[in-house]
Amino acid sequence: MAQETTKKRKRFAAPAPLSRENLLKNHMQDKPWPWFYSFLKKYLPIIIPSLFMVAVASALAVINPMISGRIIDEVIYQEQYGLLKNLLFLLVGLTLLRGLIRFSFTMLFEYCSQNTLYAMREAVFRRLMLEDFNFFNNNRTGDLLSRQTGDMDAVRHFIAFVIYQLLENALLFIFSLTMIIFYNWKLALALLVVLPFTAYTTFRQSKEVKPAFRRNRDAFSSLNTFAQENISGNRVIKAFAKEDFEESKFDKENAKFRDSQLASAKVWCKFIPRFEILSNIMTVVVLIVGGFSVIGGNMSPGDLVAVTGYLWMLNNPLRMVGWLVNDLLRFITSLEKIHATYTAEPDIKTPEAPVEMKQFKGKVEFKHVYYNSHDEDILTDITFTALPGQTIGIIGATGSGKSSLVNLICRFYDANHGGVFVDDVDVKNMNINVLRSNIGMAMQDVFLFSDTIEGNISYGDPNCSFEDVERVAKIANADGFIREMPDGYDTIIGERGVGLSGGQKQRISLARALLKNPSILILDDTTSAIDMETEAQIQNELEAVSGDRTIFIIAHRISSIINADQILVIDGGKIIEQGTHEELLKMDGRYAKVFYNQYGEFEKIGGSQYGKK
Amino acid sequence: MARNKYDIDETLQSKFDFKQLKRLGVYLKPRRSKFVFVIVLMLISSALGLLSPMFIRTILDTYIPEGNKGGIVFLTCLMIGITLVCAFILVLKVKLTNEIGQGIIYDLRKDLFTHLQELPFSYYDNRPHGKIQVRLVNYVNSLSDLLSNGIVNTITDLFSLIIIFIYMLLISVRLTLICMCGLPVLLMAVWFIKTRQRKAWQISSNKQSNLTAYIAESINGIRVTQSFVREDKNMEIFNSLSSSYRRAWLRAVLYNNMLWPCVDIISIGTTSAIYVIGVSMLTGNSDLMSAGILVAFIQYIGRFWQPVNTLASFYTSLLNAIAYLERIFETIDEPVLVHDAPGAGEMPPIEGAVEFNDVSFSYEEGIRVLNHVSFKTKVGDTFAIVGPTGAGKTTIINLLSRFYNIDSGAITIDGVNIQDVTIKSLRKQMGVMLQDSFIFSGTIMDNIRYGNMEATDEDVIRAAKTVCAHDFIMQMENGYQTEVNERGSRLSAGQRQLISFARALLADPKILILDEATSSIDTETEIALQRGLAELLKNRTSFVIAHRLSTIRNADKILYVDHGEICEEGTHDELLKMENGLYHKLYMSQYDFLNR
Repeated sequence: MAQETTKKRKRFAAPAPLSRENLLKNHMQDKPWPWFYSFLKKYLPIIIPSLFMVAVASALAVINPMISGRIIDEVIYQEQYGLLKNLLFLLVGLTLLRGLIRFSFTMLFEYCSQNTLYAMREAVFRRLMLEDFNFFNNNRTGDLLSRQTGDMDAVRHFIAFVIYQLLENALLFIFSLTMIIFYNWKLALALLVVLPFTAYTTFRQSKEVKPAFRRNRDAFSSLNTFAQENISGNRVIKAFAKEDFEESKFDKENAKFRDSQLASAKVWCKFIPRFEILSNIMTVVVLIVGGFSVIGGNMSPGDLVAVTGYLWMLNNPLRMVGWLVNDLLRFITSLEKIHATYTAEPDIKTPEAPVEMKQFKGKVEFKHVYYNSHDEDILTDITFTALPGQTIGIIGATGSGKSSLVNLICRFYDANHGGVFVDDVDVKNMNINVLRSNIGMAMQDVFLFSDTIEGNISYGDPNCSFEDVERVAKIANADGFIREMPDGYDTIIGERGVGLSGGQKQRISLARALLKNPSILILDDTTSAIDMETEAQIQNELEAVSGDRTIFIIAHRISSIINADQILVIDGGKIIEQGTHEELLKMDGRYAKVFYNQYGEFEKIGGSQYGKK
Repeated sequence: MARNKYDIDETLQSKFDFKQLKRLGVYLKPRRSKFVFVIVLMLISSALGLLSPMFIRTILDTYIPEGNKGGIVFLTCLMIGITLVCAFILVLKVKLTNEIGQGIIYDLRKDLFTHLQELPFSYYDNRPHGKIQVRLVNYVNSLSDLLSNGIVNTITDLFSLIIIFIYMLLISVRLTLICMCGLPVLLMAVWFIKTRQRKAWQISSNKQSNLTAYIAESINGIRVTQSFVREDKNMEIFNSLSSSYRRAWLRAVLYNNMLWPCVDIISIGTTSAIYVIGVSMLTGNSDLMSAGILVAFIQYIGRFWQPVNTLASFYTSLLNAIAYLERIFETIDEPVLVHDAPGAGEMPPIEGAVEFNDVSFSYEEGIRVLNHVSFKTKVGDTFAIVGPTGAGKTTIINLLSRFYNIDSGAITIDGVNIQDVTIKSLRKQMGVMLQDSFIFSGTIMDNIRYGNMEATDEDVIRAAKTVCAHDFIMQMENGYQTEVNERGSRLSAGQRQLISFARALLADPKILILDEATSSIDTETEIALQRGLAELLKNRTSFVIAHRLSTIRNADKILYVDHGEICEEGTHDELLKMENGLYHKLYMSQYDFLNR
């Protein structure tokens, strides 16, 4: 057991593989496009040949009608029936080839798109894992979720579809224009007149449609956020019978989303006719300029007929420009959104050269610590020392700063002044992962995952044995009720542990913290929903295994902290009293008052004394 | 029903068949005039579209050889006119199809949401919330393209297909029949691909749901993850989920992309057959065939397979959409377990005499949670419920708000059976404060006002003062207008409890239920709170579940519950007199540590 403990601690002390370094490297790309390219470039060896295949397929698309034309002209009209076999073979062969190439490159683009997406999702998720608490306090879950779902989908569509469509259309356009140049360069030149107009329209469109898309994405995020809050608040909504109110609020979000979609369609409607007209102008130019040239004798009728054959190739890309610009901008909007999330730099980071820490002894020292948030002083001039193996009780009014105090030890937030030291090293100079690995924390807000109970308890060490899980569950007095559940330790619990009572959740969270076998154990109001009999049992068990662990206990019940080596009484962010239970009682201050409030009637019912002798 | 988690695919309960597509028709119905209008417009524009090639031919074949410059200009002007009309139609089409599509999505999402509001706790408890969310947001969005462009295009394609088919028949019945030989082959191919494709899309939608659920939960649980330094392991899980989604997607897309090469092959096959047969008929000097007929036919055959191809791709996206649609309908079909009895009336204003008469209840069949529970309160009583964890305390009060239906017995308030009145009128008169105090994003003011939308600012402040929340609220930068985020993460747990307490009070409930509502509040605040409440609770019945015995000491009656039964019942003093009683033991246990 002891051996196992050291092994575990050693593993925790090893530098964490989650590579902040790699992240920094990636982070060099602090503009959306280079950042995107850094993911895409890995697949260039596939994308470039695929683009080549797109070119071949486009060429074949041009050749096929030519063959059909020859069959019609030479075989059918000129009755050279002997040619049919060869031409038909050629036609079938080329069609099959084209099908094959098309199929291959669509799948290749899908493949590249999925893999790029995979890497991007990973990078964004990794970044999320590294963000500090403030980031999550200031960003809505629905927004962050939208980045990973809807916005990622726009990226997927871009790589899988828009890239090759752009090339295909550009090629068709260039190809047909080149052919026309061969027939009659003046006519081709006349056609080029359309291009500046197209370019301008495209420019205008992208200017106007982008804000629409941005609003679109915002509406999507907002819908997501609302849905998320409604789903997780379903109990309160039902308890207050506020379904109607929620429905009317949702209706607004839902309508906002619809209207934002319609608004971008409206911008689109404004530009469609322009592209349609521009593409048809080409036909008109060919017919008028070409027709007049033929009549004037400057062009052969055959050439004009051939040129009109290329018209569809010229028209279609122009018609497509608008659609593609739409898709492209949708992609850019989403990319920028994703990238903005990605570049949010966490304030709390491991320093460049963290102090090497092996095994923690568990000494915790606060030296004149000040902490404020939202311009509100949360902690003021906190100074105390917890020696290894000591138990520190913290008691104080609601909102007095108890949780903030212990959060500073884990460096979930940073102190504004003063320093928090663990084993005489400022926590700001430590590797965060090493620090947190050595601290076990059961938080006040018990968050359990929708996983099995075993999975929840072993959260800190997924590879631990079942015996370990069982052992800590027993210490936390959870083994009994877990075994009574339908699937015992394999029972899956609902998100956040819904379905479990407050006391059950707290005990699982305690077991989870214990499993880490930490040098420092923090119990933030962990027994408030547990009845006193059970609490007493837990305390006995805990005492037996605590060893040289430093334990912080935040509680409202005196019974939870009475045996602490040191009790801090916090009020308004300051330590107002400090000492053992007996010392504090003698002081006859705030602590004593709380004690008499809770246990004042003890004498009445037959107890002869209070306080330990 | 087994609970679901992020790495378990949700099995589809109902088997989907195309009949369910009809349900989509319900959503189309209110928009049918718009829908028909778009189709008419599309038909006009396709008809107009046929004119341009005719004009081009006229110019090439007639006007140019004639040197008729005026004719050329006239026809090109006409073409510009047609283009303008077509462009206008296109604008209308885009506008209308978007309105139809977005409108349907809006309705569908609204129905889904409304239904979700009615679903019982168990629905939310049995799966990660991300999986519900993905249905409500992402799945519904995935239908947008199908519903807007898909249907309209399909119908216009079907029309052109029919018209071309008729043309082909007119030109040559025989060649048409030969061409049709390709269709059974196509159907076989479709049949072959369909089952696999449908399955593939189902898997893909499941994987998407798993991934989304995991991301959502990871964001919500990030504090735990970071404190346990689990980032690496979570990355691993995330990557494996992300990679299954990638695999599932690629597989589904593979089937999607198999369809159009089939159409291509069949199309080129039949075209070749037409060439061969047509030419052999020409050489055989058949009366039925001429060069002109053959060429005309071949031109139509190209136009025939094009809409077939678009139809095939519509079919593909339909299968894709169905994978989402069946999930959406599955949720809409999820039974609402607790609903108003037919003809249920309003709950009359509650006085507060609650009676449980021989109530038994089980969440899952066979596992009794409450066993023949009976008790009675007088108007204005404070009832404390104590007992070990998992004894059924929360269940008792959940039944009172009728969050679940009981198996047997009756719950009455003022003699009215709660099953006989509307749920809304019942719950509106109850103030429930749950274990998990939930704070919405928004201002503190709005959060408290959630209990009663009509309350004035003064009412809100008064409620906050009663629960001793006023002081800390005023200390925040904007007082009552301070914005808090989801779940109020900047507030301490005790502060959140006080706010939700104020919220419950503001609802002016006739019956107040406090379920471990003060566990995170310090003793001093609690005493002040109780003082404030005493006046308020004078004429109201209240139920209190708590572990701090100082909280329950003053109750009019205490119920000791264990294993779903009431073991002891009485006042604090009465119960303490029972030397070997459970309450006595519980009460004394809080002093045990003093004697240790």
